[in-house]
Amino acid sequence: MALTLTCPVCGKRNGYEFRYGGEEKGPRPDEAGITPRSWCEYVHMNQCVAGIQKEWWCHKDGCGVWFTTHRDTTCNLEVDKPEAQS
Amino acid sequence: MKRLEKLSTLRINPAKTLHFKYKNKNLKGLSGDTVATALYASGIRIFGRSLKYHRPRGLYSLDGESSNTCMQVNGIPNVCAETTLLADGMEVKAQNVAGSPETDLKGFMDKLDWAMPAGFYYRTLHKPARIWPIALKQVRKAAGLGKISAEFQMPGKYDEIYPKADVCVIGGGPAGMSAALAAAENGLRVILLETRPWLGGFFDYRTAQNGAGLSLSQSVRQAAEQLEQNSNVRIFTQTPVVGVYNNNLVTAFQKGCETDYFDERYLEIRATSVVVATGCSERPLLFENNERPGVMQIGCAHRLAQTYGLLPGKQAVFSIGHDLGLEAALDLFDLGLEVLCVADIREDGQDPALIEGLQQRNIPFLRGWVATRAHGNKTLHKVTLATIPGTLRKDFSCDLLVASAGMTPLTGPLSLAQAKLAFEPYTGFFIPRQLPAKIQVAGRLLGLNHPATIEASGRLAGTLAAGDCGVSVESRLKEAREKLNQLPGPDQGSKLVTAPVQGRKTFICFDEDTTVKNVKQALAKGFDATELIKRFTAAGTGPGQGGIPGHNLPLFVAQYHGDIKATAMPTTVRAPLVPTYIATYAGSNHDMCKRTPVHDSQKAAGGVIRRIGVWKRARYFSKDFSCRAEIENVRKNVGLLDASTLGKFRLWGPDALNALQRVYASDMSRITNGKVKYSAMCNDDACIIDDGVVVKRAENDYYFTTSTARAGATVEWIRYHTRYDGWNFHMVNLTDAFGVINMAGPNARKVLAKVTDADVSDDAFPYAAYREFMIKDTIPVRSMRLGFVGELSFELHVPSSYMQALWDLLTEAGKEFGIRHFGLEAQNVLRMEKAHLIIGSESEQRTTLHDVGLGFLWSRDKSEEKTVGAVALRQTENQEARLKLVGFKMEDPSRVPKDGSIIVDNRIRGYVCIARHSFALQEPVGLALVDAPLAGEGTRLQIYEDECNGQHLYATVVPTPFYDPEGKRIRM
Repeated sequence: MALTLTCPVCGKRNGYEFRYGGEEKGPRPDEAGITPRSWCEYVHMNQCVAGIQKEWWCHKDGCGVWFTTHRDTTCNLEVDKPEAQS
Repeated sequence: MKRLEKLSTLRINPAKTLHFKYKNKNLKGLSGDTVATALYASGIRIFGRSLKYHRPRGLYSLDGESSNTCMQVNGIPNVCAETTLLADGMEVKAQNVAGSPETDLKGFMDKLDWAMPAGFYYRTLHKPARIWPIALKQVRKAAGLGKISAEFQMPGKYDEIYPKADVCVIGGGPAGMSAALAAAENGLRVILLETRPWLGGFFDYRTAQNGAGLSLSQSVRQAAEQLEQNSNVRIFTQTPVVGVYNNNLVTAFQKGCETDYFDERYLEIRATSVVVATGCSERPLLFENNERPGVMQIGCAHRLAQTYGLLPGKQAVFSIGHDLGLEAALDLFDLGLEVLCVADIREDGQDPALIEGLQQRNIPFLRGWVATRAHGNKTLHKVTLATIPGTLRKDFSCDLLVASAGMTPLTGPLSLAQAKLAFEPYTGFFIPRQLPAKIQVAGRLLGLNHPATIEASGRLAGTLAAGDCGVSVESRLKEAREKLNQLPGPDQGSKLVTAPVQGRKTFICFDEDTTVKNVKQALAKGFDATELIKRFTAAGTGPGQGGIPGHNLPLFVAQYHGDIKATAMPTTVRAPLVPTYIATYAGSNHDMCKRTPVHDSQKAAGGVIRRIGVWKRARYFSKDFSCRAEIENVRKNVGLLDASTLGKFRLWGPDALNALQRVYASDMSRITNGKVKYSAMCNDDACIIDDGVVVKRAENDYYFTTSTARAGATVEWIRYHTRYDGWNFHMVNLTDAFGVINMAGPNARKVLAKVTDADVSDDAFPYAAYREFMIKDTIPVRSMRLGFVGELSFELHVPSSYMQALWDLLTEAGKEFGIRHFGLEAQNVLRMEKAHLIIGSESEQRTTLHDVGLGFLWSRDKSEEKTVGAVALRQTENQEARLKLVGFKMEDPSRVPKDGSIIVDNRIRGYVCIARHSFALQEPVGLALVDAPLAGEGTRLQIYEDECNGQHLYATVVPTPFYDPEGKRIRM
């Protein structure tokens, strides 16, 4: 796989070793009084940014850690310093 | 055909003859020949017939740029004869011929070109609509070159490797070799990929002097030897690159030679930096009948002689646009070819030394002349030359026309790497204007032609690549740049796109029989962009992957629009750059599966092993696939099931309970010591994904099981759903560390009591209890009293290394109680009779915990833990219009519906999850997911079975479980 990702524990590895965990959306919302619509939006709706996006990956065939990284969705490359580019 | 055996540049071994078959004749070739050169040496000039017009096609190039020499080799169709080395015993057949290539019965198609304008079958064959089905059959019959038999099995061994490199150099010509050496001298690991069986590129066959008293061939072979000695460089020959991707991932495939263990091998190379030094192919000259056998490119003619010892013809005319053509004319003349005339497209700019060479040999030389027509019915016998405006003409009788308009840079890997290519007017090349990060370019594809310049550009690229890898290269870089600047730069490229022709058979693409006229038709239809014309005329979509039209088509279109500079755009290149067997991509057959510790003894006991997920498991223990004996023995005596595939996990630490609460629907704080707790996991849509049991072995230390299918994903799942919490807990997957035996049946306790001193009476070890004890004072077991199959049962978890011992012990101890193995199918029936579900069998992606009747597992009082699925469980609790799990019995007990049959009224209302004949109940029973309104007891279900011809089956919804509804037997 062309994609490489940088695991915080194991370093830069082939994308085959990882599982995608979706966009970073923050922790689970408070459940009290939540409507089906707002819950569905948290679970299923995504920003689908064309550009740099913060997202979750699991190093499933390595150390097993879940971590966030920034990826440019237009070229499918991990971004080193997202702050400098966004 | 006699070979020139004395040449120092030869790559064949005249001492080693190979035999092969063509047209039922035994022919001979030499070791080192390709299939194409061996055929050429045997006098074969027509290799096959073209796709649409069945025109004769011959040897035109030697690197597989067109489908001209695609042949069937050893039963494999569409093998490129130019790039396939001859092997002893090969069987070669021509393709797309009715009869023989020389007398093809479909040759008349060539005269029907007027009936087949560009895109004719999209445009004409659908009016009226009823002719399309008839036309479709004919089009299908005519489509494609090679034929494959339905029984064909791809022979050969295939493999794959995934090497890493600091620098990957694509192209083993002089530039690539220099780049590889420069990078290796900086201490980097280099991979060098070359398509041909040897290094050296277009130096390999040339006798021109390099300025230091050696021929180019000698010098490059010396350099290749040096490079092969360099331990930093790994060289792959016969390895065409097929793709270049992000982060410098290069894919290629390597053809094995005699000593290799593979026939083809897929390579996926991850490199820090990539050097593209692919060089050039030739730009085909466009004139009438430009693909007639006897017409070939400069390199093809030159290499046939110098590399394979084959003089390509007797009398030759050259129509060229590059100094390499002049060099080839001189060289071939010296080898004995009669050169009647050399016509050069260029008015000036030739190397004066070459012109002088022509004069010395009295070879007529015409500046500003070009071939306009090749004559000859099947092979060439006459050529018409004309001035560029077409005002003067001359005819020459000959059997060889060496024709080429100029050079074409091989930019495929660069395009794939997303380099932006732009038209460069001086060279006439599409050259990268901006390179992607850590990709370097060197050599001929930049328009360089002087040998020293090519090598110097290679050194520079290799040094730049070393810089990409973090080596400090400032001084070397400066040195390499200075050296390059002192040498001659790029040569001017020839500008001519088409010769002045009148006819209809000037081919811009050989593979698809696309003529210049077809392109004009497309333009007249309003397809103005090259990409659209490519699709409408199919130019460049054949096996040659644009090798013939790739450069000419955009130039022709731009010229038509009147402004080459502004409008010339190359078409998009996609992987694979070279046709590749799917077998090569598939690689070797790694059937990676897991076996349980008692796999072999189950097999020895008659177990029928099936692949189930990642595991190999015993499905049956007899030829009777209804498993009657196995089932009845569990109900009557006792059975042993190998359940080692269950997911098994330890989860411990201060926040262990929090983690369990997060993922399990139940309130896990209510687990009591010595008891198992059954619960289920849902996803965020409340859909059930897993069920299993949890035991608490110590404070904050839990042991739990999951279904077999979820064993791989559970750790990931729990970590994902706790990723924001920073909880302190640990998990370890013990699935492979523990084997599991489920011993079930009324005699189970008697067997267990025989092998342990522990008290296993119902008082000491009741239903749903968990105990740890020793078997024979040696084997530690974790034991649970569960009832998946509906009988008194002990689930025994033992370290995998003890699994075989325990299995044998129980088998032996149980003999007097009628013990026997049972397999998965027996378990499936047994648990169905109890309506115990298997996730994935009685549930699907949209099935919630409520739907399968397990809603009671959900504890709504633990909202502070934010249970995964809890929100949706609340929201779907009273939702209507869902599929509910029900049990059913058949009205006609002689028929068991197939699993997956649908339940219908006037529309689909659900489906049968499982149905089997129950020996305990002496009738068929089953479980189905049905629309909620049909889930009421007593509802009549109409079952539509696959291929039932409208004969529906009928069933009635009944309460579950079917067997032992009070659950007395599991509490025995």
